[in-house]
Amino acid sequence: MLEKIAHIKQEFSSDLAQANDAQALENLRIKYLARKGSIAALFYELKSVSPEEKPALGKALNELRTFAQSAYDDAKLKLEQSSDSTELPFDVTLPGRPVSVGTKHPITQTIEEIVRIFKGMGFTVATGPEVETDYYNFGALNFPPDHPARDMQDTFFIAKDILLRTHTSPVQIRYMEQHKPPVRVVIPGRVYRNEAVSARSHVLFHQVEGLYVDEGVTMGDLKGTLVAFVKQFYGSSVKYKFRPTFFPFTEPSADMYISCFICNGKGCSMCKYAGWLEILGSGMVHPHLYENVGYDTEKYTGFAFGMGVERIAILRHGIDDIRLFTENDLRFLKQF
Amino acid sequence: MRISHQWLKELIDFKLTPEKLADEVSMLGLEIASYEDLSRKYEKFVVGEVLERAKHPNADRLTLCKVNVGKETLDIVCGAPNVDAGQKVAIALVGATIPHNQHDPDGRPFVLERAKIRGVESNGMICSAHELGIGSDADGILVLDGKAKVGTPLAKHLGQTDIVYEIEITANRGDWQSHFGVAREIGALLGKKMRKPAAKLRENKVTAASFAKVKILDTKKCPRYSARVLQNVKVAQSPQWLQDRLTAVGLRPINNVVDVTNYVMYETGQPLHAFDYEKIAGHAIVVRTAKDGEKFVTLDGKERTLRSDILMICDAEKPVGIGGVMGGANSEVSDSTTSILLESAYFDPASVRKTSKYLGLSTDASRRFERSTDIEGTVYALDRVSQLLQEMAGAEVLKGSIDIYPKKQKKTTINLRASRVNQILGTNLTKTQVKSYLERLELVCRAAATDALKVSVPSYRADLLEEIDLVEEVARMYGYNNIETKTRASIQFSTQTVVKSLQDELRSYCVGAGFNEILANSLLDAKTTEIAGEGAVKILNPVSVDMAYLRTSLIPGALHIVRRNQFQGQKQLRLFEIGDVFALANREKPNSFESYSQEERVLLLLAGQHSPVSYGVSTRPFDYLDVKGEVQALLSKFSLDKWSFISYDTHKALSEHNVTIEINGTYAGYFGKVKSSVSEKFEIEGDVYIAELNTAVLHAQRVNSTKYRQLPKFPKVVRDLAFIVDSRLPQEKVEKAIRESGGTMLETLRLFDVYTGQPLGSGQKSLAYALEFQPSDRTLTVKEIDGIITSIVAHVQRTCGATLRASS
Repeated sequence: MLEKIAHIKQEFSSDLAQANDAQALENLRIKYLARKGSIAALFYELKSVSPEEKPALGKALNELRTFAQSAYDDAKLKLEQSSDSTELPFDVTLPGRPVSVGTKHPITQTIEEIVRIFKGMGFTVATGPEVETDYYNFGALNFPPDHPARDMQDTFFIAKDILLRTHTSPVQIRYMEQHKPPVRVVIPGRVYRNEAVSARSHVLFHQVEGLYVDEGVTMGDLKGTLVAFVKQFYGSSVKYKFRPTFFPFTEPSADMYISCFICNGKGCSMCKYAGWLEILGSGMVHPHLYENVGYDTEKYTGFAFGMGVERIAILRHGIDDIRLFTENDLRFLKQF
Repeated sequence: MRISHQWLKELIDFKLTPEKLADEVSMLGLEIASYEDLSRKYEKFVVGEVLERAKHPNADRLTLCKVNVGKETLDIVCGAPNVDAGQKVAIALVGATIPHNQHDPDGRPFVLERAKIRGVESNGMICSAHELGIGSDADGILVLDGKAKVGTPLAKHLGQTDIVYEIEITANRGDWQSHFGVAREIGALLGKKMRKPAAKLRENKVTAASFAKVKILDTKKCPRYSARVLQNVKVAQSPQWLQDRLTAVGLRPINNVVDVTNYVMYETGQPLHAFDYEKIAGHAIVVRTAKDGEKFVTLDGKERTLRSDILMICDAEKPVGIGGVMGGANSEVSDSTTSILLESAYFDPASVRKTSKYLGLSTDASRRFERSTDIEGTVYALDRVSQLLQEMAGAEVLKGSIDIYPKKQKKTTINLRASRVNQILGTNLTKTQVKSYLERLELVCRAAATDALKVSVPSYRADLLEEIDLVEEVARMYGYNNIETKTRASIQFSTQTVVKSLQDELRSYCVGAGFNEILANSLLDAKTTEIAGEGAVKILNPVSVDMAYLRTSLIPGALHIVRRNQFQGQKQLRLFEIGDVFALANREKPNSFESYSQEERVLLLLAGQHSPVSYGVSTRPFDYLDVKGEVQALLSKFSLDKWSFISYDTHKALSEHNVTIEINGTYAGYFGKVKSSVSEKFEIEGDVYIAELNTAVLHAQRVNSTKYRQLPKFPKVVRDLAFIVDSRLPQEKVEKAIRESGGTMLETLRLFDVYTGQPLGSGQKSLAYALEFQPSDRTLTVKEIDGIITSIVAHVQRTCGATLRASS
C-alpha cells in the first residue's frame, strides 16, 4: 500500500505540473481530491489493512492528502492571480523605462572638438591658473603699463598686481618658461573680463589658445595650421581670409575670417551682412616674449592664436543669448 | 571714429567706391566697420516754392498752400505762422522719413503719409529746421535761400551729400585718428602721396613772445608746448561748410574758434585748445603737476579732484586746463572773447591715459594723446588753425609761435634685414621689394649692410620702434593673403599631459553615469560666499554685487542652478561640474601670488526624483545611499580599492552627515546631504546630496596600470549570517569584524537586510550579510566553511556585543 501512496503522489505531481488552466485543475481535483477521488479511495482501502500497519500507513496517507490539497490550492491561487493580467493582451507600444542620459556641456563639447583637431596636428594640452599676476597676464606679453592696449581687456583686480586672467595667453609664458623649443601646445581655459553682462557678452567665458615655437616656423605655417583647423572644424569648402590687426604679444598680427556658414556668404544678421565671420586672432610671437622667457630671438620663431569658445558655440548652434551657458537650464543642456 | 569722404578727397585722389574703399582699407588693418551716405537721410525731400497761401476752410491756425516742387504743384496743409507765398522751402514728399517728430516727446522719426487734415487733403509737408534735424528752431518752417533751385534734392541744397566712414582704430595706431592718417593709408594702398594743405598766413609785426610766456616745469610729462596768440578775433557762427564737416564726423558746431580747433584736430590728429587770452593771469602759461586734493572745474562744468601726478596747464595764478584731457571753465572762449592763446602740445601718452582713467574722463584730445600724437606736428597744427581763423574770423596773428621743446626727439632709424622678413613671413622677398613696400608708407630707406636697409621713420608713426614692427608693415603691404599657406609640417611627437586626460576621462565617466554637466559662474555674491565659509577671494572692482567673490567650493553655484531648474519644473537632477575653486590661503600676504590657492574639483549632485516618472517605474526621491553609491562607483573606477571613508561627521558649512573620502590616506574630498537650512536659503525644495572631490588627488593616487588576476578555478561558497546588535552600532563595525575574522578566502561581503521590529525588542536591530568565500587552490569542504563561520560568529559576538540571529 505504501507503494500505491508513493505512486499516486508521483502521478499527482506530474498531472499538476501539466494543469495549466482552470479546467485541467478542476479535473485534477476531481481525480484526486473529490469524494470519489483516488485519495479518498485509498482512505477506504485503509480500513481493511492490519492494525499493525495502520498507524504508519495512516500517517503517510494524511501527509499525501495535505500535500495534494495545499499544492492544488497554491496552483489554483496562482492561476487566479495570473489570469487577471493575462486578460490584457501584450502591448508592445507601452513606453520603455526611461534611462537617465548624461550630457557634456556645449562649451566642453566645443573645446573638446577644437582640442581634438589640434592634437591630431601634434599639439599637446597645457593649462594655467585663473588667478594670475599682472606680469604673466600683461607685462610678459608686451603690454606696457598705462598703454591703451590694456583697454582692450577690462580687468578684474584682486590685489596689487594680482588679477583674474583676461585671456589664456599667460599660459604661453608659463609654458615657455618651463619648456625649451620646440613647443607646440593648445591651452583651453576660463577667462574673465570686467564688462556688463548682456545677451552678447559675459564677464566669464572660455578660450582656446595655441602656441607653436621652433626654428623655421613662419607666417606661412600659421596660415597652414589654421586653415587646416577651420577646414576640419567648419568643413572643407569653407573660404577664409587673414586681416592685419594689433595684439601686443604678436607681430605681425592677424584676424582670421571665414565665409559665413549660416548664409554661405550672402549676408545675414550673424555676419552683420558682411558675409564673413571673424573667428580667431593670431600672429607671429613678438620677440619680446622670447626675451622674457630666455629664448634666442634670432633662432626661434613661432605663432600663437586664440579663439573664444562661446562665440564659436553660439555661431555653430545658433544660440541667441550667451547667458544660457552659465544658467545651465536642463532644457538647454539636454539639447546638446 | 567718423571720417568724411569729401574731406579725404581734398587730401588724396582716389576713385574707389565707398564699398571698395571700406573693403580694401580694412584689409590693411584699418577697419572700416560701416559707412553712411548722408544724403539718404533726405531721400524724398526737395526744394519747393510756395505759390499761394490761403486760409484753411475749417481751421484758423492752418493754411492751405500750393507748392511748386518742380515736376508738379502740390496742395499742402501747413501749421506754421511764418509760411508765405514766394518763399523757397524744404518739402518732404509723401513717403519721406521725417528725422524729428515735433509732436513726439522723444522726437522719434516718422514716415510721412498722404493725409486729410481737418477735411482737406495734404500731399506733403513744409519742414522746420528742427524736423530736418539741422537746427533747434521748431516754431516755424525753414525758409531757404531765395536762389535755391526748385525741384533740387534737399540733400544737395543743404550740402548733405557726404559719405561718412565709421572706423575702428587699433591701440597702436594713434595716427589713424585723423583724416591725414586715413588719407596716408589710402595713399599706401594706391601708391600715391597725401596732399598736406599749406598753412599760409599773414603774421603781424608784433611778436607773440612779447605778449605771452610759456614755461614747462615737467618736461617728462610735457616734452613740447607750442603756442600762438591771435588778436581781434570775431567769435561767431562758423560758415556752413565747416558746420557740415563737423556734423558729418559727429561733432556739434559751437563757434568758429572752437570749431576750427576741432576741425584741425580731426584733420591732423593734433588736439588743440584755445584759451581766452584775457583770462590768462599774467599772460603766462606754466605747465606743472597738480597738488593732491586740488579742485578744478573743467569745461563741462564738473568739479574734479586732482592728484599730484596729474599734469596741469596753469597761468601765473591758477590752473586753466588739465593737460591733454580738458580745458578749464575759467579760461573758456566766449562770445565776448577778442584775443586767444592757442595751445598745441605733445603730452606723454602714459601720463594722459593715467589721468583720463583716474578722472573717468575720456575726451577727443585724451584719446589721441594716449595713443601718441606727432611731436613734430604741433607747430603746423597751430599755423593751420591760425590760417583758418584769419580767413573766417578776421584774426590778426602775432608773429611767430612760442615753441618750448627743450629736448628735440631723435628721429627713429631702424635696421631691417630682408632675411629677417623672410624668416618671419616665410616669403622670398628681395631687399628691393622690401624697400618698395616700405616706401609706399613714406618710410625712407637707405641701403645698409648687404642684406639690410636703414629705415627712417616719420615722426607721426610712433608705433614703429624696432625691426619686427617693419616686418609687419612689409606683411601688410605685401598682403597677408598673398603669403603662401604652408600645408606640410614636420612631425613632432607630442607628450600628452596626463592631468588633462584624467579630466577628460572623469567627464566621460560622469556622462556615462547619467549626469548632466554644468558650468556654473565662478563669481558669487557676498551672501552666498558667506554661507559657504571663509577665505573667499574678493574682487576689488566687481561688475556687480552679484559677482564680487570667487567661489571656494563648487556647491553654492550648483545650488543656484538647482533652484533655477526647479523653478522651471525640472525636478530630477543629476548634475556634475569640473572646475576650479579659489581661496586666499595666506591672509597675511594678499599681494603675493603664492597666497592664493587654486584647485580643480569635481562635484556630483543629486536632487529630486531618483528616476523619471513614467509607466512601469516606481520612482522615489534620491537619498543618502544614492550619493554614497555614486562616490563608491567613481572611486572604484579611478582608484580601484585604495580608498576609504572616514565616517565621523566633520563640520561643513553647507552639508551634514558628511563622510570624508581618503585615497591611500590622502584627503580627497567628502560627500553629504545639504543642510535643510541651506536649501531654504537657496529656495530649493527637497533634499540635495552632494560629493566634492579634488581631481589632483584623484590623479595622483589613481591606479594607472591594472594587473590581471586569474579567474577562479574552484567553486565559491555562499553563506548568510544575521546578527542582532544594539541599534546605535554602525554596521561598519560588524562588517569590519567579519572581515577581520573571515580569512583570506572571504572575497565579498554584502549587507542585504537591516531589520528592526517587535521580535527583537527595542534598541536592537538585525543585520544580515551574504558572505562569499573563494578558494584559490581547492574545493572547500563543509567542515572547513563551518569552522570559518564559527570563528566569525565568535569574533563578531565578542567585539560587537552581537548575538547570532540566523546562519545558513
